[in-house]
Amino acid sequence: MAAIARTRNADAAKSLVQDLCPGPGDSAHETGAAFDIPALDQHLNGGMCSNALHEVRCSLARDFAGAAGFALGLAAQFGKRDANRILWVIDPAASVDSGLPFPDGLSEHGIDPKRMIFVRPITLQDALWSADQAAKCGDLSAVIFQVKGNPKPFDMTATRRLMLRARESGVLVCVLRQSGAEEASAAATRWHVEIMPSEPGPDFEHGPGQARHVHTLERNRHGRTGQWTLTWNPEKRAFEDGISKTQTTHTVRRIHAPADRPDRPAEMGQVVDLERAS
Amino acid sequence: MSARPDSPPIAITDTEKNAVRIVAHEAHAARLGIFNRQSLSDARALVPDLECHARDRDADHELLGSLAAWCERYTPLVALDGDDSLFMDVTGCTHLFGGEESFIADIETRLAAQGFSVRTCLADTAGAAWAMARHGTGRIIARDQHAQAISALPLAALRLDTNLVTSLGRVGFKTVGCIADLPRAPLAARFGTHLLDRLDQASGRQDEIISPLMPVAELAAEKRFADPIVHEDDIKRGIALLAGNIIALLERRDLGVRTCEVKLFRVDGEVQSLSVHAANPLRDADRIAALFHERLARLHTDLDAGFGFDIMRLNILQADPFNGGQHDLVEHKDAGDSYAALIDRLGARLGTDRVLQFSFADTHIPERRFALVPISGRDGKTDPDQVQLPGPARTPTRPLILLERPEPIDAIAQVPDSPPSRFRWRKVLYEIARSEGPERIACEWWRDGRASLSRDYFSVEDTQGYRFWLFRHGLYERETTRPDWYMHGLFS
Repeated sequence: MAAIARTRNADAAKSLVQDLCPGPGDSAHETGAAFDIPALDQHLNGGMCSNALHEVRCSLARDFAGAAGFALGLAAQFGKRDANRILWVIDPAASVDSGLPFPDGLSEHGIDPKRMIFVRPITLQDALWSADQAAKCGDLSAVIFQVKGNPKPFDMTATRRLMLRARESGVLVCVLRQSGAEEASAAATRWHVEIMPSEPGPDFEHGPGQARHVHTLERNRHGRTGQWTLTWNPEKRAFEDGISKTQTTHTVRRIHAPADRPDRPAEMGQVVDLERAS
Repeated sequence: MSARPDSPPIAITDTEKNAVRIVAHEAHAARLGIFNRQSLSDARALVPDLECHARDRDADHELLGSLAAWCERYTPLVALDGDDSLFMDVTGCTHLFGGEESFIADIETRLAAQGFSVRTCLADTAGAAWAMARHGTGRIIARDQHAQAISALPLAALRLDTNLVTSLGRVGFKTVGCIADLPRAPLAARFGTHLLDRLDQASGRQDEIISPLMPVAELAAEKRFADPIVHEDDIKRGIALLAGNIIALLERRDLGVRTCEVKLFRVDGEVQSLSVHAANPLRDADRIAALFHERLARLHTDLDAGFGFDIMRLNILQADPFNGGQHDLVEHKDAGDSYAALIDRLGARLGTDRVLQFSFADTHIPERRFALVPISGRDGKTDPDQVQLPGPARTPTRPLILLERPEPIDAIAQVPDSPPSRFRWRKVLYEIARSEGPERIACEWWRDGRASLSRDYFSVEDTQGYRFWLFRHGLYERETTRPDWYMHGLFS
């Protein structure tokens, strides 16, 4: 395994062991930063660790902008402090229909587009290699690796290597998985992002207000999962609690309407369990 | 071409003035009566089973180009001339091969081994060498002897067109020597100054500048191998050695490498070239070698070593003044992990056009507002500070993700300028709950023409909360009767 062969000293080997079997002594390596949302920080043992691998995924292509916004928010709020460049690696499969970050939109999101670097390799192997090299570089604040679906070469070993690199260099590495399923990985946290109707602003109530998303913490190294509604504040470059005082807080996962057919027929009756005749 | 005695000879034909003529043939075909410029029907009458191929000028030119690249092993100044000849400026190069005799012999042997039949001539001037190679017999013309050497050659040896040669022949001038000592003014008056130019170029009274195919490197280091090398490790070791050699030269000139290339000369005439680019001037042999390692790692399957490489050359194509270079004594930071090193490494492996950053343009059309350009290629040509970017906003007016090109949607909207009430995008129907707009962005008539359409942008939110940036292409009744709708971006 390449990840083991490349560890140079005993410390790194030890950290690999800790990575394989997470335990209470693990947090010594991590530099965490709090969300300042008590319920969330409690789940994460004090906050997001910035020198680690995190994963943000969305199930549908149209959710991609929300997931990208969350990943960029994480990079801005929890990225390495003494560096300000964000490197974005685009998997060739993802670049077909997902579009590109728009500089004006990035700027309004609180990210300086002049500080962003994009890497667009031709093959997934090159994309993985680029993400690996970038995660090693301590002059970056964060690395975002955009990947589509669950490609086979991006497996447990690859994520574990990214995790190790992040821990050594102190760079926040974020996997942005577009239309992908849940998959076991070495990431410290995995988030699923879903859209939620916005809360209308005070000055123009018929227009779209401030965006809110439902963030489901699907995997957490500290054990507890949960679901929160968050909004991104681009002025403070921080996430805020997005639950309004007026609306209910219940969120349900919707069943999406079929894409290319009419809506499903209404249920015609109740299915009852009949006793067997014989 | 080597003779194939048991099979019919091969000839190359070309159409000249509506007649198909032979322009090249195998050597042993001459015994059967085939000669150049013979018409094809005559040749077929002599040799009925003559194997004919039409001339492919592009392929010829490509072959000559690759031959020229290979000839850079002798001198960096190689120029193409016409369809079938090369000029090489070998001033100061022949002693490296043990004198002019062995230099010419080396060229002839190696090209003959590749299957070419060549005529070479080494002379003081390009014109004299051309004349002797085409129309004479000598291979080397001694210093200052070229005027006498070419005097017996026909006038065509001066690179004149056939009409001029014919009209000179009519007045009795057959050889170069006939016109060499004539009064110049009447000659120019009757036959034009071109004749005198060619005569002067051949005799050395006028300098002739050949234009080399490749730019001459600022600095170069070269290694020749007695045994051709094949293995990747040997190539890497050779590159490291050359990089080490060139550092001393760079230090003396206080330069750092920006662009450099390694040329690998294969024994059978192929030349492979790998080039790498550094974002900042570089003067570290290990880092230069490491960039080439990435380059090799990317294409080691495409790099065909064949029978091996016998010459390896490192050319510095671009070097800039080297500044800085003082290391931090307190905190030792590995230079290989810095941002600049990362960009160089990514560029070397993936190609510099794959590592990108934004460049901005001062326009309102969204897709023209930015471009992704190679990081190393910008060099401060466009100043990003000139363009005003919006500040952070809680309710954004511009989408976070812009689609590569606007995608048409089926929208139902009230005329003339309401936002759509529902639309279908990528087969999915969206009901709109909130919308804001329109924001009108007029076309750039100075680029697109007066007939191009305005766009009315709306930011809309559907009932589930998805937020899109749509536009109507064309103003209703003022520009078009059936405006189309397009999806252009997604808000976060």
